[in-house]
Amino acid sequence: MTLPRIAHHLRAALIGALALLFAQPALADLPRPQGPVILTITGQIAETNAEGAAEFDLDMLRALPAETIRTTTIWTEGEQEFTGVPLQALLDHVGATGTTLRAVAINDYAVDIPASDAAEGGPILAYERNGAPMSVRDKGPLWIVYPYDSDSRYRTEVIYSRSIWQLNRIDVTD
Amino acid sequence: MSPTDTPERAHALRRLVRRLRPGPRRGYALLGLVTLICLLSIVTLGQAVMRDLNLLRQASSDNVQWTLSQAEVEFLYFEKALDHALVAPGDDRSPVVTKFDVFYSRINTLAHGALYADLREIPDFMAPLRQIQDFLDQAVPVIDAIDSAPIARLQQLEEASEKIAPVVRQLSNAGLFHFAAQSDLRRNGIAVTLQRLALATAAMIGALGLMALHSFRLGRAAQNSAQALEQAWLRLNTVVQTSLDAVIVTDRHGRVLEFNPAAERIFGYRFIDIEGRKLGDLIVPPDQRQAHEDGLRRMNESGETRVIGAGRVQMTAMRANGETFPVEMALESAGPEDNRIVIGFLRDITARLAAERELVEARDRALAGEKAKAEFLAMMTHEIRTPLNGVIGSLSLLQETALTDRQRRYVNNMALSAQQLMHHVNTVLDIARFESGIVEAAERPTHLGRLVQDIVDAQEGHAARNGNSLQWSWESEPRDWVMADAVRLQQILLNLVGNAIKFTRNGRVAIELEALPDCDQPGKTCIEFRVIDTGIGIPESAQARIFEDFQSVEPSLQRQTGGTGLGLGIVRRLVTAMGGEYGVESEPGQGSVFWVRLPLAPAEPSEDARPARASAGRSRPLDVLLVEDNEINRELAREMLELEGHRVTTAPDGLAGVSAANDHRYDLILMDISMPVMDGLEACRRIRMGEGRSRNSPIVALSANVLPQMRDRILQAGMSGFLGKPMRVEDLRALLARIDAPADQPADDTAPSRQDPADPAPEGPAAKDRAPRDRTDDGHAPGQPPDPVIARLRDRFRQETDALFDWLATSPQDVAEIAARCHKIAGSAAAFGHLALRDALVAIETRAAQGAGPADLAPLVDAARAAWLSPAAAPRP
Repeated sequence: MTLPRIAHHLRAALIGALALLFAQPALADLPRPQGPVILTITGQIAETNAEGAAEFDLDMLRALPAETIRTTTIWTEGEQEFTGVPLQALLDHVGATGTTLRAVAINDYAVDIPASDAAEGGPILAYERNGAPMSVRDKGPLWIVYPYDSDSRYRTEVIYSRSIWQLNRIDVTD
Repeated sequence: MSPTDTPERAHALRRLVRRLRPGPRRGYALLGLVTLICLLSIVTLGQAVMRDLNLLRQASSDNVQWTLSQAEVEFLYFEKALDHALVAPGDDRSPVVTKFDVFYSRINTLAHGALYADLREIPDFMAPLRQIQDFLDQAVPVIDAIDSAPIARLQQLEEASEKIAPVVRQLSNAGLFHFAAQSDLRRNGIAVTLQRLALATAAMIGALGLMALHSFRLGRAAQNSAQALEQAWLRLNTVVQTSLDAVIVTDRHGRVLEFNPAAERIFGYRFIDIEGRKLGDLIVPPDQRQAHEDGLRRMNESGETRVIGAGRVQMTAMRANGETFPVEMALESAGPEDNRIVIGFLRDITARLAAERELVEARDRALAGEKAKAEFLAMMTHEIRTPLNGVIGSLSLLQETALTDRQRRYVNNMALSAQQLMHHVNTVLDIARFESGIVEAAERPTHLGRLVQDIVDAQEGHAARNGNSLQWSWESEPRDWVMADAVRLQQILLNLVGNAIKFTRNGRVAIELEALPDCDQPGKTCIEFRVIDTGIGIPESAQARIFEDFQSVEPSLQRQTGGTGLGLGIVRRLVTAMGGEYGVESEPGQGSVFWVRLPLAPAEPSEDARPARASAGRSRPLDVLLVEDNEINRELAREMLELEGHRVTTAPDGLAGVSAANDHRYDLILMDISMPVMDGLEACRRIRMGEGRSRNSPIVALSANVLPQMRDRILQAGMSGFLGKPMRVEDLRALLARIDAPADQPADDTAPSRQDPADPAPEGPAAKDRAPRDRTDDGHAPGQPPDPVIARLRDRFRQETDALFDWLATSPQDVAEIAARCHKIAGSAAAFGHLALRDALVAIETRAAQGAGPADLAPLVDAARAAWLSPAAAPRP
């Protein structure tokens, strides 16, 4: 771990501690997840429902605005239909203020996504593929999908690397 | 050019040059465009390279390979979780499920992802993938029920996964090898692309460099051409400014663009005052302006030009002060159709035309002077000869009368002097006739030996008087018979022999003839005649000029020997006319050789060589019509003709002559030229044109006028010949002999003839002098009117002359009548040798013809009377 990252974590911890001291009412802003938690958002967010984190079960995500993307991907065969929460909507929902999203998968694969990627017509946090929830064996339960077919900018190695599947954590940082 | 107007002038000329220059160069714009395109290309290519490099960098983090190795890692995680579950059966078994699912998902991606389609083509990859998929399919029921699964099942799973571990590694390796190879290929591809890009860039830089060089050269060339143009302009400007001719340039509408200093000087305008004004209003005279405008319009409308490009033309121009003057002008146009300029070069030729006019006048005066001189010479000779003939005639008549010995001696002396004088006069007349160009060669078969012998015979006495011997000889084989103008040849040799005798005392004169072996004229023989003497010789310095007229070696000698200085001049003319050469070789004190080379054609021997001889003697009696207005002349001629045995009919004027000629066929008509009612020329024309019986008869003019132009008029009128007045019996005989001769020889129009056909003896070269000799040698004058007739006529002449003066004393007012009567007596006066009277009367006649009144004539009448009454003026009988 690099020094900036340590400092970042220290700061995050400090903020979390402060939040505990002064921002108790904020805990009530997000409902507690009823089902298994499939996504945890930490870091520079305004809305939480756990200790310094916003935890989501599938129903909570489904309750957020949804968007469907029809596109092909290099990891699948044929055109796919993905449905999920636009990344922008998700970040707004948790009041994220950082510029970088560190997305981590179940197998601890991690990738940094600039917050600026979360834009109108940009990536979504897909929870359904071809009308069905995705199992872990099927790159579920969550997969960040960009509309690859809509723009050549989304067909680069960088974007492919950001298309993280089996996602379960997002850390919002500067 | 004044200093003040230089800038304006230079400015105008520069503007003029600019008009003729081509438009702005478009090449630079093109070049700029090309450069811009090149730059854009390079920028675009550079950006492409940057992007490619960026992509290449990203490719190095390619997660395909990562995915492949990740499959192995995730399988190891799964094995580890499974081992843990076997070692600690009581612990939570969910990590096994998670690790399995992750591995499952990975394999699923490899089996179905589009990204790995290429890999799936490879058997080394596909085979392990199938085995792994089989393992997963078998493992799924165990994993799905892992919480309730007995340890034995987990151990079975453990064994199966241990077996499959190398396969997972095999899969991973196969994929990695494939991608490594592909990556190499792609890197190579990129390298090639980069090399190409580098080459393309280098090429473009090279091209840009070339373009820059080209542009630089273009710039240099443009600079040079601008410099050249500047220099050309300077030169042109200097030429135009310093030209002595006016140089004027106008545009197509005739407006002044340029007007050089010479033009300013000639036309009196200043350029700065008239620039842009219409030239036609300035220098074209008002009466020619319309034509000028028409010309400009023609040029602008149809391009047709008449004066432009036509070279030098003469026109009239006008100065600022309105004075017109002649110019020589050349116009040219230049430039494109719609921007044409007209350049004019003009020269004031007033002075030249004046000089030309003066030159022409001077030439005309000189020619007229020459002609007048020739005419004067001929006239004077004639004027001398006519009275001289009177003297000679009178002397011959006098010799027929009864004289004492002393008187006869005097008369003989007088006759000799007259003969000498006549010789000189004839010489001068010959020259005059040569100059008039009326002498024509008459070649006949001639015997050279006889001809030379005749000369020797005739000159022997003369030679003997100077104590000289005279011989002749052929120095080559004789070529006696040749075609030659014997008269001329005789004269040539006679002149040379005469000279030789004249300048030799107690010596020897020899004539040598030699046929030269070479002759430049085909069919002819060059014969050299040499006259050799042992006389005083000629200094070298004088040899070149002695053949000129009026030249003699020593004037004092000339006087001493007596001569005109024309003898050799005549030789020169005759020899040249005959196509020959002449020359002299001489040593002072030793003698001289005069030589003449003549190309002569050989001839057949002919006894007619001297027709004069053949027809010598009396001719047969002829019917002669004598047309003569002067009664005394008429009677004299009638007497002469009748004494010769001919029948004579007379007519007093041309009209009567024509009438008589129509009625009767005459063998000969003698026609006076100057007659009242109808002159001889007109009468002759009428006889020739008419149907009268004598229309083909020979008509011979009787005239005292021997001027060359009279000969032409006589021949044009249709006359056959010419007989001088007063008529001499020898001439008459010669004429009659020719008329009588069967051969139609062209009548000899010279008067008198040098060849005397009537002379019974071969007279030869002394022919000119024959007239007096007839009397002195022969002692009688055959055919001459006998004394009583002469006496009667002379009495009548005296009476008529007295009557004239009596009538004139009455102060008659009729000028024509005075002229007519004077003319009549003048003719008689000449016949009787009363020359002063004749001249005085002719003067009256001439003045009367010039329109003088009776009062103007009075002094002339008095002079004539004085001449008539003066005993010294004329031999009064």
